Amino acid sequence: MEFDIAPNSANPIYRQIVEQVQRRVASGQLPPGADLPSVRAVALQHAINPMTVSKAYSLLEAQGLLERRRGVGMVVAAQAVMHHGGPDTLALLQPALAAAAQASRQLGIDDAAAVAAFAQTLAQLAPTPTPMPMPAPDL
Amino acid sequence: MTTMNAIETQNLTLHRNGTTILKDISLSIPTGAVVGLVGRNGAGKSTLLRCLAGLIEPSSGSAHLLQCPSTHLTDAVRERLGFVAQTPDLFDWMEVFEMIHTIGRAYPRWNETRALALASQLDLPMGGKVRNLSGGDQQKLSVVLALAHDPDLLILDEPVSSLDPMTRREFMRALFTSPLQSDNLPGTEPRERTVLISSHLLSDLERVVTHVAFIRDGRLQWLDAWDAMQEHLRLIPAQTTAAVAAPYPAAGTGVMWTNRQTGQRVVDTRVDSRWADSGRGLLLDELFVELNA
Repeated sequence: MEFDIAPNSANPIYRQIVEQVQRRVASGQLPPGADLPSVRAVALQHAINPMTVSKAYSLLEAQGLLERRRGVGMVVAAQAVMHHGGPDTLALLQPALAAAAQASRQLGIDDAAAVAAFAQTLAQLAPTPTPMPMPAPDL
Repeated sequence: MTTMNAIETQNLTLHRNGTTILKDISLSIPTGAVVGLVGRNGAGKSTLLRCLAGLIEPSSGSAHLLQCPSTHLTDAVRERLGFVAQTPDLFDWMEVFEMIHTIGRAYPRWNETRALALASQLDLPMGGKVRNLSGGDQQKLSVVLALAHDPDLLILDEPVSSLDPMTRREFMRALFTSPLQSDNLPGTEPRERTVLISSHLLSDLERVVTHVAFIRDGRLQWLDAWDAMQEHLRLIPAQTTAAVAAPYPAAGTGVMWTNRQTGQRVVDTRVDSRWADSGRGLLLDELFVELNA
């Protein structure tokens, strides 16, 4: 998999990596056993500090999403399956919803109109419920 | 060993010609940290780095590199140290390759292959005299010379100010690679090289730093983990903080800094979690502007 990293963001780089792995595991795009790129490969590709990548992987390992497999590196843990559309995936959506809710209030938009706008935005997306535009992992 | 500080100063102070250039700087930089030293022109960044490297003797206080006093660095410590000065000390009369070779003879840990690989990674022209190199190419040569002996501690004073963005990326990659590191081996931990780098290229620093040290008027203003600053500092517009009604940073309110021109404040949600949903996070250049306003 490839990470989409914005180094000049108020969101720390390690957290961007953690969130992307969480979302892709939650959506099933990263199934149990899938390889993660090595710390060094991610660091070199994005010209970032390897310790930052290492920190993200260690956190994901502590959360039980990744496991260190000898001779392979980091893989998605066997028990890491979060049910698609279940409570875990909803929790991952919460920060984006909170930001949108705050912006909506600041703009003085009526709550019902904001909810309707969200529904309309969802409707405008491609019909296939693929949460992120990336190729399916090899199984 | 990893818990030891690679750089440590206590009350480092420097007076020159009746002016105080560094005031009471006490800092500890743990092994493996990559610290961005930032501050306005004339804030004392270069002087601090030169004091650390033992090139200037402080008026009072002390500095230690790798547990060795800066004023009396041993050869063993010098071999583990890489220093890039703002104005590189290069041997103008030599050919580029000749200079690399000459410097290399002074370091037991020198790796000529690595030096040449770095030079090609940074696109440094190897033919011709050092004196004919452009400003950017002279910086590249200084970086190659500082990195080729695989130092444990790197002190870099504006090392890339003349380099283009592509070359700066290569430079940042080179900071973390070591000839001893095997490629892609699982379980290979990133190398514990400590880096202290002064730069005005704040968006570059955001890629690589673990910590940021802000220096203003010769004083250390703030040294903290950059991840933590990104997560916990928030910029609050003037009218939102009016309720707190403290004209200056007040204890216990989490207000770390007040911009006297705009009234905007930088708050730390670790000190007061009430700010967690107010304002917004800051980029490094925004924090720089606030802290220097």
